[in-house]
Amino acid sequence: MKPLYGIPLALLALTFLAVCAGSARAAEPAAPTADIFPFPVAQKTLGNGLQVVVVPFDSPGTVAYYTVVRTGSRDEVEPGKSGFAHFFEHMMFRGTDKYSKDRYTEILKRMGADSNASTDDDLTLYHIVGPKRELETMADLESDRFKNLKYTEQVFRTEALAVRGEYAKNASNPIRQLIEKLRDLAFSQHTYKHTAMGFLADIEAMPAQYAYSRQFFQRFYRPENCIVLVVGDVDPAQVFQLAERYYGDWARGYRPTEVAAEPPQTAPKSAQLDWPNPVRPQILYGYRAPAFSTASVDWAALDLVGQLLFSENAPLYQELVVDKQLADNVSGGISAQRDPTLFNVFVRARSLEVVPQVEKTIADHLAKLGKDPVDPVRLDRIKSHLRYAFAASLDSPSAVAEQLAGMLAITGDVQSLNQLYRRYAEVTPVDVQRLARQVLVSTGETKVPLVYVAPKAPEPTKPEPNAAPGGN
Amino acid sequence: MTTTKMAWGVLAALALAGPTAEAAAPKKKPPVQKPAPKAVQAAPIDPKIETIAVPSPNSPMVAVRLLFRVGSMDDPAGKEGLAALTGLMIGQSGTADRSYADLVEALYPMAASVDVSTDREVTTITGQVHRDKLADYTALLVEAVTRPGFAASDFERNKDQLSASLTTSLRSANDELLGLEALQGAIFPGHPYAHAQAGTVQGLKNITLDDVKRFYGESFTRSRLLLGVGGGYPEGWISQLKAGLAKLPLGVAVARDLPAPQLPSGRRITLVEKATDSVGIHFGFPIPLTRADADYYPLLVATSFLGEHRTSHGVLYEELREKRGLNYGDYAYVEYYPFPPFTNTPTPGSPRRQQYFSLWVRPVKPGDSQFALRGALYELDKLIRNGLAPADFELTRSFLTNYTKLWTQTLSDRLGFALDSRYYGMSPFIDEIEQRLTKITVDDVNRAIRKYLQTANLRIVLVTNNAAELKAALERDLPVPKKYGTEVSADLLAEDELIQRTKIKPAAIEIVPVDQMFEK
Repeated sequence: MKPLYGIPLALLALTFLAVCAGSARAAEPAAPTADIFPFPVAQKTLGNGLQVVVVPFDSPGTVAYYTVVRTGSRDEVEPGKSGFAHFFEHMMFRGTDKYSKDRYTEILKRMGADSNASTDDDLTLYHIVGPKRELETMADLESDRFKNLKYTEQVFRTEALAVRGEYAKNASNPIRQLIEKLRDLAFSQHTYKHTAMGFLADIEAMPAQYAYSRQFFQRFYRPENCIVLVVGDVDPAQVFQLAERYYGDWARGYRPTEVAAEPPQTAPKSAQLDWPNPVRPQILYGYRAPAFSTASVDWAALDLVGQLLFSENAPLYQELVVDKQLADNVSGGISAQRDPTLFNVFVRARSLEVVPQVEKTIADHLAKLGKDPVDPVRLDRIKSHLRYAFAASLDSPSAVAEQLAGMLAITGDVQSLNQLYRRYAEVTPVDVQRLARQVLVSTGETKVPLVYVAPKAPEPTKPEPNAAPGGN
Repeated sequence: MTTTKMAWGVLAALALAGPTAEAAAPKKKPPVQKPAPKAVQAAPIDPKIETIAVPSPNSPMVAVRLLFRVGSMDDPAGKEGLAALTGLMIGQSGTADRSYADLVEALYPMAASVDVSTDREVTTITGQVHRDKLADYTALLVEAVTRPGFAASDFERNKDQLSASLTTSLRSANDELLGLEALQGAIFPGHPYAHAQAGTVQGLKNITLDDVKRFYGESFTRSRLLLGVGGGYPEGWISQLKAGLAKLPLGVAVARDLPAPQLPSGRRITLVEKATDSVGIHFGFPIPLTRADADYYPLLVATSFLGEHRTSHGVLYEELREKRGLNYGDYAYVEYYPFPPFTNTPTPGSPRRQQYFSLWVRPVKPGDSQFALRGALYELDKLIRNGLAPADFELTRSFLTNYTKLWTQTLSDRLGFALDSRYYGMSPFIDEIEQRLTKITVDDVNRAIRKYLQTANLRIVLVTNNAAELKAALERDLPVPKKYGTEVSADLLAEDELIQRTKIKPAAIEIVPVDQMFEK
């Protein structure tokens, strides 16, 4: 019941929910010690290293065919190449010798498929959801473009303009701009410094990167770096057969990226973001936090800290939004990532005047988690919430696939989901206190306040040209 | 989480005064006489709780949807936002027996919620819970719906939330939603659909807690309720739920007639001015069709061919984005589509008796805005002129027959579409699509295009910086070429010449500063 009236949905990108704690349907929430994932999982690794994961699911006649590439904006280590993984995702729809772009599109259209892709820090994800009877066509189409993608420089340049358009559509959203600024400020070495969209200057320089795009494909679109994930009305044996037939000749060649580690942060950082249209003041904080792992309870404990602070029944939420009504939104948490990341706190204050009080309230609640152990009953209620939320979230083949895809991209291991929920069950009040003390500290803090600053009177731009078309 | 039925506003203040200029008629045909949009009579009201069940015995989840026939169209003049605020006093507030804090605390361990969304005609309360928590959840749901607490602090918080959704979120945080909402206001001036679901800034200020209590008593009644249940619920549970909801008053039948929306006279442009680096483009006009009409289905095919939402095979997408790199995407709609930036397929919960046809051109660079608008008009004109070829028809029909089945993959969506269909008084929508598409021909589609689509009389909205400059350029109406940073084919440039020469022919251009949007 948390109000979404007017809360930009992009905020959800800040949370871990998209990856792990959220979707399902066909089973009871598992007891804390049992596997949380309620469906059987069949797996096979082909000779070239391609992992194939199949989850039969009760969706009569429908299958979700996903391909996980374990490369995202995290891999954009070369200067000037930020945003390239995302751009390249666009190029993957540009055809091959066997299936031209138009032919590819027509086949998918005829089958009535939902087909699209997305790029994040740690992965690029492609999907086709459509009729079961077209499973072989899906395998044929997908394997072909992953092996044989081909496009001209002219097509590449035009697509770069569409990517610039994608940036433009996002630019009016303060949350996206806050995230972009926060990451740029918080990281100095690691590629999490930029978002999956990339820096604007790099996006604008993309049309000139055709040669690099071919290298990118050769390097990252390799079987050892990909996972084919099929969920729905399928027989695993049939999927494995199709995988052998269509992907068996895909040559190895992946070279992992060496991503620079981010040095420890020793002092708080802050920078203001001016907003040219009237808005309520907003602040995004990031605290240096660990990478996703189930080797210890640490990451799981921090995820519970997110619930302790930002669920609607959390004392901080209740105080700021419901009782004192100083803010209309406070949210955040840790995201699941391959490398050390940020624990985020977002707040939108009701006015500039109350910002100091809002900041103090947040600081007090963060400090309290490190000082006083939380009530174990409260932790149990959070663990129950997470299990029921997970069970509720697995409500379609796509939802199941996306749960698994996020986890597979980060760890490469489908069991990570089950391990995570076991770790949640183990978290104690002492763990929460320890992680709060370790992570929610001022030396690891980066803060970006966003406030309205009226723009200067616009300079008159040149009149619209009336000349003949360019074409250069 | 609340369902994403945000309260996006509308251009209530859009005065559409101005000289009526000669309409830009389609080139090769005489202007087609469009059927007059019809006034719609309210459906008769059933005093019992009408219930639709979508059982799924193997599912561990149970879904509930309460569709009340009350929406922002029922807001009293000067109190725009009353329906949405009343909805929040159910979904985001305490009850007579417990505070809001206690309610969310009780719901939290079962990961359940009481979500309320308000649309133009209906308010939907939804919930989903694991079946082993069903009894506890049902009691809380019934309590929230039948015994709201109306606490003054909840009232102030929710009112502020709605106001901020207009002043901060819609005006200043998402240019695409701003344009989409502005278009609705422009298409339905002076109509009960004109203002946003969240109301207006001034309307919200005028609402008192007593107004909310009165509105709740009059509107959240059994007479207006359509109940939907789905999933793996046990035997006898529906009766228990209905017994709980029977605490709602029966209520009285209320006429909810709608005036006929009018086609604009000529192409009337609204420039919403704000600080922004790009220009979003939207245009449309009312059409006298809903899902309950036979002609809706051939027009659904035509619209899908032109630009199915968030897919990459529509004509608009191919011509404007793929070939010319103008923007991120371009789509066409045969009816209102809720929250287009956030969903890939339609979501249920927004049934309406009056609809509009529209095109959505996602933000372009300011220098490309005239070219993009002309490009979209050019493609729509071309469709009207040429219709669909038989092969395009067959392909689009095949696509829609399969694709629409993906719209009901989740329990909640299945239930939601079932309720919407009942609201329209028709058989289940997705089944209806398949049955209708089996029977229609390419001639039916082309006849529907000629009968309902036109470009002469449009409401056009552009969200832009430097509006005065753009207004002057639109009035000059001179060719503005698209400049490419790369070599492009001679064919493309030849067609660009035609696009550039397409006249926009504005009948009137109005500039609305963004801070006047959704104000009153």
